[in-house]
Order: sequence, then C-alpha cells, then structure tokens
Amino acid sequence: MKKSLRLVGVTFGLIATNLFAEMVEVPVDDGTSDPVAIEADFHATYVGGADVERGSIQINNFDEFNSLARVLVLPRIKVGIIRLGAEYEVYAFDVPEGLQVPDRLQSAALIIGLDTKFSDSLLVRFEAKPGLYSADDLQRGDFNVPFILGGTYLYSSSLQFVFGIGVDLEGEFPVLPGGGIRWKFAPQWVLNATLPTPRLEYELNRQFMLYAGAEIRSKNFRVDNDFVSDPGDPGRLNNAILNYTEVRVGGGFVWRLSETCKFSAEAGFMPYRQFDYHRTPVRYHSESGAPYAALSFHGSF
Amino acid sequence: METHSSRLRSRSLLSFAISLMMPFVAFSAAGADPAAELAGFSIFPKVDLVQLSKGDAKPVRGGALGNARYLFVQTVYVAPHPPSELLAKMRSWNPARRSELNVYLHIESSNFSRLQNPPDNSAVRDLTTATAQKSSDLQVSAAERKLLPGENFASVWTKILSGRASAGTSAQPPYENVSPPVRPSDELNALLRGQEKIRKQFAGVNQGRGEMYWELLSADERGVLTLGAYYSRSGSGGTIQTANTRYYASGGYYAGATLHQLWPVQVEGRASTLVWRGDMISSASVGSLRGIERIAAESTMIKDISRAVSLFRRDTGSAR
Repeated sequence: MKKSLRLVGVTFGLIATNLFAEMVEVPVDDGTSDPVAIEADFHATYVGGADVERGSIQINNFDEFNSLARVLVLPRIKVGIIRLGAEYEVYAFDVPEGLQVPDRLQSAALIIGLDTKFSDSLLVRFEAKPGLYSADDLQRGDFNVPFILGGTYLYSSSLQFVFGIGVDLEGEFPVLPGGGIRWKFAPQWVLNATLPTPRLEYELNRQFMLYAGAEIRSKNFRVDNDFVSDPGDPGRLNNAILNYTEVRVGGGFVWRLSETCKFSAEAGFMPYRQFDYHRTPVRYHSESGAPYAALSFHGSF
Repeated sequence: METHSSRLRSRSLLSFAISLMMPFVAFSAAGADPAAELAGFSIFPKVDLVQLSKGDAKPVRGGALGNARYLFVQTVYVAPHPPSELLAKMRSWNPARRSELNVYLHIESSNFSRLQNPPDNSAVRDLTTATAQKSSDLQVSAAERKLLPGENFASVWTKILSGRASAGTSAQPPYENVSPPVRPSDELNALLRGQEKIRKQFAGVNQGRGEMYWELLSADERGVLTLGAYYSRSGSGGTIQTANTRYYASGGYYAGATLHQLWPVQVEGRASTLVWRGDMISSASVGSLRGIERIAAESTMIKDISRAVSLFRRDTGSAR
C-alpha cells in the first residue's frame, strides 16, 4: 500500500511538473499552512423484524441494530490530502446462538488514504481500511485490507461523473465497480445517481435538504474457528468468510446545524438482505423485508 | 466506493470571480525586477516571460487564508500590451457578454432600473421565488428582511441594494439569516489579510469608495445579486495594482475579492505586461468541505477563473 501511495504521489508530481514546465517553475508553498481538518461520523440504524431462509430452514422475525463510528484526520500535503483515521462498525442481529447466521458482525479498521487530483477535472481517491472483520469476537486471524480506488471527472459545476472500484480479496467478486453521475439539473434538485448510495436530493433551503434513494451495503467477515454451525453439519462453516449484503430504500432529511455539523434522519424499508458463505453452498436470503429508521451525525472541524 | 462529488454545490460560486478587471488610484512599491517582485509575494518562484507570453494562463491554488470557508487562487500570465492599455481593456470588458460566465447583468453604476426587466432563466426565477417566499437563504439584515417580499422583485431589491451601496464597503449591515450573523466587510478584510505577503503587497489598495458596480449572476445554479467596488492605483515604473471587491451578495458566498498586479515588461521586443491575479472567496458552503470535496471546490474555482481569463484574453486580444 505504501507503494501505491508513493505511485500516486509520483504520478501527480510528474503531471504538475509538465503543466508548468512551459511557463514557470512549479508553484511553491506560500508558507501559510492549512489547518489540519478532522471529520467525525456516527450512524445508528434499527431494522425491524425480518425473515431469512435457506431452503427449508427459516430464521424468522429477527431485528437488527447497526452502528458506525468513524474519525478522520486530514492533513494537507503537497500532493493532496491524506486520510488517516479509524472506523468501527457493528451489526447486531437478534438471533439465538448456534445458528448459521451469527448474532454479531463487527469490524475495527484503520483508514489510510489520499485525496488528490491528476488535473483540475480529474480527482482521485485511494482509501484502504486494514483491520479486523469478524463475526462475533474480533480476532487477529480476521485481518483484511479492503480498499477503494475511485475518481471524479468534473465536467462542470453541475455535472460530474464518478467511477471507481472496490477491492476485497475475501469477496466472492474481489473487484467490484462503482460510480455514476451527479447532476444538478435545477437550482434545488440534484440527481446523485452514484452507487452504492443513489439519491434524488431536494434542497429546501441552505439548512435543510430532503432526499429519497437507496443504499447497498456489502461487507465480508470471517467467522470464528469454533463457530457453531448446523448441528447436522458440524464445523463446516468454521473460519469461513461470510458476505453480508443489505439493501435499504428510503427517504430522509439532512439538517445543517452549523457550518461544521450536520444531523440526518432517514426511514424506509429494507427489501433484501443476504448472509452468503460464498465459498460454501450455505446462503441465507431474504424471505421478508422490514422497515428501518436511521440517525446520523457528521462533524467537520 | 464513496461518492466524491456530493455537495459540489459550493464549487461554482465562482462564476462570481469573473468581472474583475476594472479601474481605480496610486501606490508605491514596484521593484526593478518584476519576476523577483512576483516571487516575493506570490506562489510563483520563477517565471519565463517568453514562455508565459505564448501559453495559457494557469491558475493554481493560492494557499491557505486562515479559514476553512476561504478559497484562494493565483494566476500568472503575460499580455501583449503595456499595463495602461491592458487596464483600459480590463475596464471596458463586460463579462455579461459571455454566456459561459453566467453573469447576466453587469452594471457600472447604482442605477438598478434593469431589475425591472431581468433575464428569464432558472437561476433568476429561483431568486425571484426566494424573494417572494422570504427565503431564509437570502443574505440580508433583519431590517432588510422586513422589506421582503415588497411590491415586487425590482422594488424590494432596489431598496436593499441602494441602501447597501450607500453604506459602502465598510459599513455593510450583517447577514442576519445565519447565526451568528456574518459581516461581509469582516469577511472581505479577513480575505485580504489572509496571507501576510499579499496583505503587504496590496496594503491600502481598496481605500475610499472605489467605483461601484452591481451584477446579477448565477452561483451554483442560483440567482445572486451582488455589489462590488473597483479600485486601482499606479506605481513607480509603470506598474499598476487593482482590486475588485465584492462586498455584498444576496446568496452563494459572503464576500470575494480579485487583486491584479501589472508590471511592464519587454517580451521579444514587444511592450507587454506581466500579470498576477489573485481570486479570493468566502463561502459558508465551502467551510464544511473536507478532503476530496474541498479539492473539488478548489478545482472548480480554478476552472472558472481559467475560463474567465481565457475569454477576457481572447476578447481583448490579450493572448498571442
């Protein structure tokens, strides 16, 4: 990863040098340093009782509590803005122990990345999240390093194209594409059709924004060595990789409390979820969906 | 993958940074070596005048100004005219003639009669609706808010803009649609003092009332009425400094300024001008941007300024 970061830096340096070689030396730092920015995010979601099934096996009416906390420090350097931080996320499912669906999925990861640009039209983000991705307890063997490499093409101030890939070597598909467009087609309307969170946004005023859209959440976790699986098939899933996918469709609002703080609330329906031990035949998918409600806080300082 | 481009809204605030080439009074300074003087206060350590005269202007991020809601871009280029001639072209150039710049009206007086018949487009309709609905997005004082919505769009904005134009740059009423209230004159002063070298180089350039103008433009697809003042002064050796301050905006940004320094130079035997330009803006929506969103805001401002400078040079024969 260090190598990747260095490559990004070197590439940007070459581009910058070429741009200015014709006319001036590369612009220098003026000595006025940017303050180090900090971002903090907290999300909490409750999903009501829903069912999943695998063939004739059903797990009925279990609810979910999902929460996430993330802190980022964003020092600015010559080639861009470094992203350094940590993130913790947990999914807690109200299911009895001993089933093939774990009652808890959690991840604790560092965030290491870089936001930079290759030109004034092409912006790039690289972000890796090395950490532990575990079903039940966090264990050293659950280490994984998923990362994203994405870009934004600024066609104009009202139209941008987003593209990129997410890489997770533990996934069924290790490389997944993402992206879309962001189009401000009217003074108060924005079509933010970018995966994994496509949205239609309406800015009521500067403090208040309404939106409707969807979110596709997908993450890979490793279950414990002593994970209790189907008694009729003991040990089969021990240490297996579990991909958890969830789709949410809903609407909400973002309330700008101040220049630096935002609060948002969202409600909707979760039409689909899947617990997929993709290296085995074991897969539980939605038998019924459930309503959900979510609260978020974002601070940038 | 996270979406980098969400909230790009702030980034086109900079249609505003456009009409900044105008008139003005006298300064001292002027080093014997323009390139050395340029290196002394800007981010450009060394310039090749011949190459500069043949290429496009290349705006770049100008460094920090001490507040997250401020953005700063610096540009350098060479124009094939002496400074006095270039200044005359800057003063006569009207950005409203270029639709790409989203400046619908540019009026160099305090006559607001053109408000009675504004252009019809979505940005202006948005401002008209915001006025009729007394939108909390409108940057006005509590006293001005009581005037809204008024008899009609033209009458209420004529009252507000006339009052603010009379008050001048330093006595602007605060924007009381935000808490705490924001004084645009404080924002303007903070922008101009954000970098010590720039502050010293242009100290006192915006003394007096300057030459007043107003504009109707689009910032982030929304209609904005703005008041500005132009200043200029001549220095020793034929140098000229100008300042264009935007001390009021009905929305989109709090305040903005564009500074120019013009040095007479000879390029391949031709009387030319080495031009440094600095564009600064204060905007609440920029203040909350971090990471790639901030880079996007800066890039959009750079692209807007690049477009404005290119069009000005093309229209005035200031590019080779």
